[in-house]
Amino acid sequence: MPETSAVHPIVEMRHINKAFGAVQALNDVDLALYPGEVLGLVGDNSAGKSTLMKILTGAYQRDSGEIHVAGDEVHFSSPHESRDRGIEMIYQDFALCGNMDVGQNIFLGRWPRKGLIVDRRKMYSEADEVLQRLKVNVNSVYQKVESLSGGRQQSVAIARAISFDPRVIVLDEPTANLSVMATARLLETMLELKKHGVAQIIISHRLQDIFAVGDRVMVLKRGENVGDRYIKQTTEQEVLEIIVSGTPETRLSADEAPKRAA
Amino acid sequence: MTSDSLALGRRPMQFFGGWEVGLLALMALLYIVGALINPSFFLSPDAFQALLRDASRFAIMAVGMTFVIANKDLDLSVGSTYGLVGVVFAYVFDPNHYDMGVVPAIIACLALGTFIGLINGVLVTVLRVPAFIATLTMLFIGRGFILGLTGGQSILYPIKARDFHWFFQLGEFNAWGFNNQITLALIVVALGAFVLAKTRWGYETLATGGNELAAIYAGIPTRWVRVRSYLLSSLCATIAGLMAVAQDKGASPQGGLSAELIVIAAVIIGGASILGGRGRVLGSFLGAVLTVLINKVLREGVPITRTLMINGESIEVQAHYSLPAGAVPAFIGVLLLVAVLIEPLIIRQRLPARIWAWLRRRPPPKLLEVGGVAIEGAQTKGATASDRALTARGFGKFLARRDALAIMLAVLLWLVGLYLRPDYWALLPNTFAILLNYTELALIAVGLTFVIAAGDIDLSVGAVLALAGSAAAYSLKVLGLDPFEAILVGLAVGLAAGAFNGVMTVAFRLPAFIATLGMFYIARGLASWLVAGQQLTGFSERYNLIGRKVGDILAYLDLPRPMGFLGALADVVSVQTIWMLLVSVIAGFVLGFMPFGQRIYATGGNIRAAAYAGINTSRIRFIALLFCAFCATMAGLINVAYFRSFNPVAGQFRELDGIAAVIIGGGSIFGGYGTVIGALAGAAVITLVRALLQLNVEGFTMPQHWINVFIGGILIAAVLIDIWVRQANIFGALRAHLAERRRTATTEAVNA
Repeated sequence: MPETSAVHPIVEMRHINKAFGAVQALNDVDLALYPGEVLGLVGDNSAGKSTLMKILTGAYQRDSGEIHVAGDEVHFSSPHESRDRGIEMIYQDFALCGNMDVGQNIFLGRWPRKGLIVDRRKMYSEADEVLQRLKVNVNSVYQKVESLSGGRQQSVAIARAISFDPRVIVLDEPTANLSVMATARLLETMLELKKHGVAQIIISHRLQDIFAVGDRVMVLKRGENVGDRYIKQTTEQEVLEIIVSGTPETRLSADEAPKRAA
Repeated sequence: MTSDSLALGRRPMQFFGGWEVGLLALMALLYIVGALINPSFFLSPDAFQALLRDASRFAIMAVGMTFVIANKDLDLSVGSTYGLVGVVFAYVFDPNHYDMGVVPAIIACLALGTFIGLINGVLVTVLRVPAFIATLTMLFIGRGFILGLTGGQSILYPIKARDFHWFFQLGEFNAWGFNNQITLALIVVALGAFVLAKTRWGYETLATGGNELAAIYAGIPTRWVRVRSYLLSSLCATIAGLMAVAQDKGASPQGGLSAELIVIAAVIIGGASILGGRGRVLGSFLGAVLTVLINKVLREGVPITRTLMINGESIEVQAHYSLPAGAVPAFIGVLLLVAVLIEPLIIRQRLPARIWAWLRRRPPPKLLEVGGVAIEGAQTKGATASDRALTARGFGKFLARRDALAIMLAVLLWLVGLYLRPDYWALLPNTFAILLNYTELALIAVGLTFVIAAGDIDLSVGAVLALAGSAAAYSLKVLGLDPFEAILVGLAVGLAAGAFNGVMTVAFRLPAFIATLGMFYIARGLASWLVAGQQLTGFSERYNLIGRKVGDILAYLDLPRPMGFLGALADVVSVQTIWMLLVSVIAGFVLGFMPFGQRIYATGGNIRAAAYAGINTSRIRFIALLFCAFCATMAGLINVAYFRSFNPVAGQFRELDGIAAVIIGGGSIFGGYGTVIGALAGAAVITLVRALLQLNVEGFTMPQHWINVFIGGILIAAVLIDIWVRQANIFGALRAHLAERRRTATTEAVNA
């Protein structure tokens, strides 16, 4: 797929290493993400998926390696700095304040102000706007988040992420706490985001979700990159085999794989 | 396969470790220091005996506390249980009361211990009240009972005790020349050490404290494990109390005062972690001996030589310098905080190793990576609480407000007062007398609202009130500062206490309840140290103006008094009430309308989410704790001005009143909720309850001690209502359950 390669990646991570004490969590991992692409990040437990994403957002610091966002080398020391460069992460537990309502949560930490006072009218109307844009259904922006169901809470978390106009959204196990219905709605939302040109990385155990919305899938195993495939050119069976028995030696990039097969 | 078992190597030791060896060394060192400063006391065999004898009671309480702390719980009620056991024993045994034998008295005490332990356990496990708030309330209720039952007088029965030598020899020296209490303590410690280190009960305790969820999944009945530990703790306190009974042959209303502080400090020094899952009974035993030793060294004082000038001749006089009794808790409070800091700083962050590496200019050793972000479990609560405020209409809308309870209760209580004393209740002077009592509590409650909404707690408000008041009184009377300077000194001291609380919770990451519990003892100790032996009264009237009525101030300043209604108002309204309303309006505006208030709610609701959203949660929590201390300080300065003197019991029980006011007013003990209006209404409820209980109805007035017991009950009730009605919505669940049953009943009837 030379035409994709010609576009510059929005995120590029090269030779990332990270150790926790004696455990090498990530060993020389590369990752590239192109604008508007949906990348699935899969692997067994403790494969290093979450660690890699936390390094990307600045929640953890890498031991060595480079990260480029839109071509510029970056050193994020906290998630706030990566947010300024258009990278948003949606955590598995949504990171919302249950005691506050939907509008207050969407504008968590940056409530609009009029003079000294929080501008509630602006806050709620803009929150409603974001929810409309995302086409998600939350009864009311005045509802307390702790009284919402898991799927609705996630919609709020996504709406919150969208309201920053990000270029990249990282979703950590987005379907882990959701019902079947809510999962279907979430996948629709992700396609909607893709339509708006937002690149997404999904960490997930559920391959069927990644195959439903993803463009590409990348497999990590024991902190190493063991495979990279285009969704159109692979099967769930093949990805499972890579997860179980892939090695860095047998690893192929997504562009190499079809040539080898041919 | 003998090679396999050899490959396993030596099993780790369960009873004893390097920590305990270090404690022994420290203890030897302290005793030598004590002997060097005060050889006449510490080198006498009596002193050593007395040390071991007094330590044995604390050691027994420390055994029970080790189980509780290893469970990640806390039991603040041991000191009051210890004291109450003495009182109950006296009531049953004393010839002037029920005049029964020793056996019924012991049975009554054991029943009491079991009862307190069960209540603590059930409150904390089944009813999910945070341990520190449940047991702190039990502490205050217990103390209220002690004072109420004894009337503040000791009960002694040395003559009757001679007939029951078999029991009372427990407190005596035996034929081998040491006190029987030491034997009993060694037995209890050995038993406790065996149970915690060697049996399933002990393993279950450590597992529950380490990770309760994991323990539940593993099939451990964690509720029973925790209730069991509370039972052990309060039964150990009962045994210790009985030992004191045997020794003193009587009960004093001061018995066991601040004992919980020594016991908790002992257990933490002994190597247990306040974060649960770690603790050794032998370590706690050594910690108890060490803490009692420190206590003794502090109390014994130093012999000094004073030089007096008499008729121009200098004469050397042998004197004795010792700390005032009230000051000792200040040191033990510091000791507690230092002990709590040992674990995070030395064991987790390896501070000594890092300093050593820094001194040798080597790279620091790698840290244990503890609790990285996003590892903690989900905090946003699920669809348990329905949002009633959205669906309700009319009066239902008011009921759905979290402060509805407080507002309705305040109105109701006022009407009760009107019913009881129609002749006097609604008069302007009485109304404003109530308002005056209200002022101090309302100020404190406003400050506490910020702390509780931010998800922390401040147990030190009453003590900080006393500290600031005593500092101002001291500067006025002893240092001779003018009123304005005295106010500045008081504010500086109070804010320093608040800043200390903030640094301990935010920078050193101690749980707020333990940091402010330390400050509770430190501030009270410092306050009584400052005023020890001084009559702090008779200040310049200019200072007292901040606690006067508006009319008095106008008279002092020689201003004309307004006519008519305004004049009557000026005679009853106090300037501090106006000041309190001003502070409340500003605080209410900040909390309700400004982004800072939103940051507080976000921090208290989900601190991790708030941090991800770019809120500097440490700053928010620090400011909240500082503001709370500021409010307590203002209350303290006003208190001194109002009474025209400093009273060491100023602000006592105010932490209880304040927390109760905030919770009744819609605050949640888990953080994220609480409004200034709610806190004001809650403070009104508490003030009205106190005023009603003090009302003279047909010649009967309730004594103050029983009122404190009552307020303790209200606090527990408020916390329970918050957890179960406001948050878990049990009434809603019950209604849904009943509706479901009715529906199935109808369908069954239709089917039949």
